[in-house]
Amino acid sequence: MNCQHATLLVGADPYTSSPGLTEHLQSCPRCAEFQREMLGLEANIRRALEVAPPAIPATSPTANVASFKNARRAAAGTAKPVHPTLWRGWALAASLVVAVIGAVWLLRPTDTLARDVVAHVQGEPNSWVSTQVIDTRAVEELLHKAGVTGSSLTSQEVTYAQYCFFRGHFVPHVVLHTTQGPVTVMLLPDEHVSGRESFHESGYMGVIVPAPHGSLAVLSRTAASMDSLARQTWFTVAQRPQP
Amino acid sequence: MTDILEDTRNSGPEKPVSSGVGPGGAADEGITRLLQSLRPDLVRFAHWLARDRAIAEDIVQESMLRAWRSRESLKDATSARAWLLTIVRREHARLYERKRLELVSLDDEIDHHVLATGDDTDLHTLRAAILKLPMEYREPLIMQVLGGFSTEEIARELSLSATAVLTRLFRARNKLRTIYGLVPSSEPVATGETP
Repeated sequence: MNCQHATLLVGADPYTSSPGLTEHLQSCPRCAEFQREMLGLEANIRRALEVAPPAIPATSPTANVASFKNARRAAAGTAKPVHPTLWRGWALAASLVVAVIGAVWLLRPTDTLARDVVAHVQGEPNSWVSTQVIDTRAVEELLHKAGVTGSSLTSQEVTYAQYCFFRGHFVPHVVLHTTQGPVTVMLLPDEHVSGRESFHESGYMGVIVPAPHGSLAVLSRTAASMDSLARQTWFTVAQRPQP
Repeated sequence: MTDILEDTRNSGPEKPVSSGVGPGGAADEGITRLLQSLRPDLVRFAHWLARDRAIAEDIVQESMLRAWRSRESLKDATSARAWLLTIVRREHARLYERKRLELVSLDDEIDHHVLATGDDTDLHTLRAAILKLPMEYREPLIMQVLGGFSTEEIARELSLSATAVLTRLFRARNKLRTIYGLVPSSEPVATGETP
């Protein structure tokens, strides 16, 4: 067994054991140290997962089954008749619930990540006004500082580049000069989204799209083609500094 | 246990509830007690998968009904826990696919965890990190740690190769290492991983 195989086995299950692995760990201090670290982590993972969620009064399985049977009886038309007044009361209550749900849906806040991105950009109003193109090396340095090892941003005209604290991490925040006006791009290695999310909030339009390492947000105050820009933007990430 | 699992996959017309010993018989009481005793485990398992208590409750309720309907096929009580956890996992997958559930506000959920547990910051951070793991990494990790499933069982259940499961478990833990200031280990080259 070599170190790669041993690391994979230990990393996948620190408690795993086999004659081959044991022999390797005895002869490889590095892998043995890795196993010690992983065992320590594993104890904490188990502690973390063992905590029961907040208690809600449990219904017994028999009660569940009874409900199920009642539902079947009702579906078969053999349920006891319900008094019309009671039925109207339930109908009224159901209508109210639907109305409340509808109101909540209509007034629902937009996606939290999008809101945070917009709030962050609003906090740096000067980012939009600069027209001076920043030197590529300065952009590279900034990206490097944020743990980004490569990005398409270095080949574009960047007019604003900052290393910003956002949701507990330092992330690159740049503004690109485009033919359709300035466009903000935030690389978000720690924010994962399941798919493209567009938003229109506080005068900003934008998209958040998944990336191989987290996601990236592209937004503008004009009707710039952000999807196209988002598709062209990429970045790779190494280990990032902790805040 | 395969026949039991096949039974739970059936989403067609429901069969009438029946029992080999008749309604209310000793066997039914036994399975009722079994379901009741395992319920907290099932809810916890479902909660870590769904990241939402209410959804977890729904999943468990539906899973228990499915288990009840196919209770005659449970021959060995010692395999009941794994059988039920598998039903819960499939019910979660089914619900997720069917409804494309709204994203849970993780910050709220995580705060809820802190309020519920009142434990130390490190553990809170770790819980938050586990909740934020992408599903492809969180699911095998939960199955392994909470469910006690082996790599082969997880592979079978998730229709992956054993190597792919090992890789996902490795990546899941590797992501969690950084919380403790440990340098993420470089990923070993493994064949058989599916994206």
